[in-house]
Amino acid sequence: MQRWNSQLRLETRFRRGLLACLALLGLLVFPTALKAAPGETGNSSVDWVLEATNHLGKWIWDTNTFDKQTIRLVKPFAVPAGEKVVQATLRITVDNGYTLFLDGEEIGRGSDWRTVTEYDVTELLAPGRHVLGVEGFNDRLEGGLIFGLHIELASQQVIDVTSDKSWLVGPGDGKKWAGTRLDTATVRSVIVIGPMHAHPWEIWPYGLATVPPLHPLLVHFWQRGWFELTLFCMAAAALLFSLWLLTQLAAQAKAQNVLRVERVRIARDIHDDLGAQLTQLLLLGEVAQLEQPETSPARSQFTQICDRARELAHAMDEVVWAVNSRRDTVRDFTSYVCKYAQNFLGPTNIRCRLDVEPEMPATAFDLPVRRSLFLAVKEALNNAAKHSQADELFLRIYRREQKLSVAVEDNGRGFDPDLPGGERNGMTNMAQRMVEIGGTCGIVSQPGGGCLVVFTVPLPARRAGWFRRAAREDGPANEIETSGSGP
Amino acid sequence: MKPTATSLSSAVNPPVKVVLVEDKPGVRDSWVKLINSLPGFACVQSCTSGEDALRVIPSLKPDVVLMDIFLPRMSGIECTARLKLQLPKIQILILTAVEDDELVFMALEAGADGYLLKRTKPEDLKAAMLDVLGGGAPMTSEIARRVVESFRRASKQTKQTVHLTTREEEVLILLSKGYSNKEIAGQLSISAETVGSHLKHIYEKMHVRSRAEAVARYMTSRA
Repeated sequence: MQRWNSQLRLETRFRRGLLACLALLGLLVFPTALKAAPGETGNSSVDWVLEATNHLGKWIWDTNTFDKQTIRLVKPFAVPAGEKVVQATLRITVDNGYTLFLDGEEIGRGSDWRTVTEYDVTELLAPGRHVLGVEGFNDRLEGGLIFGLHIELASQQVIDVTSDKSWLVGPGDGKKWAGTRLDTATVRSVIVIGPMHAHPWEIWPYGLATVPPLHPLLVHFWQRGWFELTLFCMAAAALLFSLWLLTQLAAQAKAQNVLRVERVRIARDIHDDLGAQLTQLLLLGEVAQLEQPETSPARSQFTQICDRARELAHAMDEVVWAVNSRRDTVRDFTSYVCKYAQNFLGPTNIRCRLDVEPEMPATAFDLPVRRSLFLAVKEALNNAAKHSQADELFLRIYRREQKLSVAVEDNGRGFDPDLPGGERNGMTNMAQRMVEIGGTCGIVSQPGGGCLVVFTVPLPARRAGWFRRAAREDGPANEIETSGSGP
Repeated sequence: MKPTATSLSSAVNPPVKVVLVEDKPGVRDSWVKLINSLPGFACVQSCTSGEDALRVIPSLKPDVVLMDIFLPRMSGIECTARLKLQLPKIQILILTAVEDDELVFMALEAGADGYLLKRTKPEDLKAAMLDVLGGGAPMTSEIARRVVESFRRASKQTKQTVHLTTREEEVLILLSKGYSNKEIAGQLSISAETVGSHLKHIYEKMHVRSRAEAVARYMTSRA
């Protein structure tokens, strides 16, 4: 008993450690890991005088007795409803050893058949049906079980469950047993060998070993099977869902990439085919214009054709820029807007001043945001050129906390933003554009005090993908190689 | 064509010799006609490829080379680098269909003296050629910004030997802010010519800096 206890305790400690590890790893542990709690019985004391009123029954065993025999015995009993168990003492010994179950839970083992072991099961017995189970083992020669459960109820009533002929027995089948039920095909009644101290146990058992009271095993809800099963199912579902999400993301990324490649291709096609042909057309026009006499009407018509072709080429550049994903970084946007502003204000009386934060990052900048922001800036420039009568305009581009701001500031005559009018409509347009892409548009102006328009859009937190950066690194060289042989 | 004042003066001076490098036949013919139509300019040769240009140009010794960027096999940028290596005095203008700053910057680093959009007006073409011949170094604010950034980046590296002077950086920064050469001159209390010569020096520094690596890059890749 002693040795077995310490072994069990060691085993328990090991299991606990393992449990902690498993719990830490977020793995699932089934409640069986803690079922060894009865092993925590501590030291038992042995009383060498068996009381006369020992509440023990008779020696019972299976019909047949043979060496190395395992039998299983069950005995149901009931505690009346509405009663309270004050004290319940269970005594047992089996020649040569036993495993004791109560209601399907193992509560003890014993192999020293010469002493009776006493279990205090008071706390394990609630009113209702209970079932005792004993797996007995006979090493050689005679086998026998002697048992007594003495229950004192609060109503002074006493229930004694002892080993007698009402116990049922069946053979052990080698499998793990829960201690509740016997195979109906082989179940039979026990035979009574004799009372206590009958032959061959005249002098045995001669001692009583008391085990500290047993407490109901507290199984937390997270240790219960259903909970763990649910958790497992949820984890599995979550895993499957995230896998599904991953595949969706992969598919989307692939689609995005296809789109990106397509955009580059379209941009290149427009640029290579249309652009080259437009340039040729323009040059032919210029040459044709040269060949006309200077005063002929045809010459001025050719001049007009050339001017139109130039405008067309300009418009085409804008389209190419808008769709070309190789140019969708903050840096490209910045340089494009600056160039646009300079070209746009070039023929006007407004001097265009640029104030651009150096080292703009190559952060990717989504097409809709880029396009809307550009159109808004274009509108602001247009307003300034048309209405402001300014002679200087500052275009400032800067970043603040993952936001990109473009400010258009002129020193013109300004206006009252609260007064309705033509300029106001333009402002509403710009504000609307900004709202659509999650940005803001701030306008500060007063009559005679110039006008400041600030557009702010959020920048994506992620850096440009490595593939894009890689593409950018060999980009220009690549373009030369591939476009060199083009038209 | 009626003789004008400029064409009369160009009759006295030999016309400016221009070589065109352009692979597309239609565009090439048009450009040749356009150049020849400009008084005082003569297109002495048109080459169809960079290799062709490298073979012909050293013996022709033209004043100006107009170079397309997209050429079959050897690119216009590489051809520029090789020509500048053989003939440092030659003026090369890059022709580009679209204003791609990255390409233009590469071409300028490779030794080009300026760039022109292909859809430029004949008057602007003439102005640009006269400008480079007269020692001018036109630079847009966008390119100026890139030059400043590239020199600053490079100055963080230890091996860097070419630096911009404070004045040169001032000129570039004002240029990048959209000031014209004349306005820069006013701001810095120097003459417009001095601004021009600063820019010329900046170009030269860019060439010097990029030459070693460019030569290594272009030559080894074509060896």
